[in-house]
Amino acid sequence: MAQINYSPGIEDEGGLPVMIADIIKGNLNAKPYRQNDFNALNGNIYMHAHDAEVDMTMVFEKGKLTVHGGKVGEPKVSISTDSGTLLDLANLDVKFGLPFYFDKVGLGVLKKLFVTRELKLSGLFTHPIMLTRFTKLMSCR
Amino acid sequence: MPYTYGTPEWEEAFKKVTQERIANSPRPFVLFSPEWVGEWEKKLQNDEKYKALALPNWENPIVIHLLKNPAFGVDQDIYVKMDLWHDGECKSIRYIPSTAAGDPGNFIIGGTIERWLAVSRKQLDVVKGMMQGKLKLKGDLPTIVKAVKAAVRIVETVGEVGGVYQDELTPEQIESFRKVVQDLVKEFNIT
Repeated sequence: MAQINYSPGIEDEGGLPVMIADIIKGNLNAKPYRQNDFNALNGNIYMHAHDAEVDMTMVFEKGKLTVHGGKVGEPKVSISTDSGTLLDLANLDVKFGLPFYFDKVGLGVLKKLFVTRELKLSGLFTHPIMLTRFTKLMSCR
Repeated sequence: MPYTYGTPEWEEAFKKVTQERIANSPRPFVLFSPEWVGEWEKKLQNDEKYKALALPNWENPIVIHLLKNPAFGVDQDIYVKMDLWHDGECKSIRYIPSTAAGDPGNFIIGGTIERWLAVSRKQLDVVKGMMQGKLKLKGDLPTIVKAVKAAVRIVETVGEVGGVYQDELTPEQIESFRKVVQDLVKEFNIT
């Protein structure tokens, strides 16, 4: 069972941190085999929905996740985009154990990442395995 | 004797009241009044954009939760349930009791009336509002995330039905709206 905690006050406020935590919880319940990815994650991941002006940090500690509002520590991976694209990330498919980018949703994400730059991602080249595991954890597909 | 929610009698009587109110109430209807909900139902049932975005195997109702605000004539929380089915079918939209709002499989999107007015006026984007915590979403997130575009379309239709908003009502109109809601709550046991 994944241990997912909220920093004080976050749960009552709702919003992005609670949504992302609920997505991860729901995915782990529906797809327990992704627990390996959850257990392997270690470090901070930062998310920013710039149009909604909300941000959050997930602090992963090998089998434990604490969700915070705002930026906490030095994130290994940072994702900044609009709120709709953040949810697109949760709609990326996973095939053969890896995120799949060659369907409509995936190509849309790639376009926003490399062409229009609407999706800003740091850690893509420095922490690719962490990013891959996190993308799988977020995927509702 | 109030009707019992969930029975065919309740459904029949609710439909009848809504149809009568649509026929006899002055237009434009007040947002979230029974007659307005009836119009919204028609709108959603014929909305091609929603049908195009809806998942073919969708079976989960979506419930709009309006938090009470006596200043706007709403003395108790109101729950409006959209009974949605495969391929964008909307079977019905009904007021429901709070006890039924959290039935398994339901998604609840909750907010104050002011927030819903902002959504209707397109001043508040639904996804943004949820991320900001201005609208609260309850239910199995991975399921609704897969259908997020359809869910957004549903909420967009709230603003496309038209109507009079609660913050535009005169004090007399607010009292009249309060009475309509109170009568409905009593008659249909929606508490």
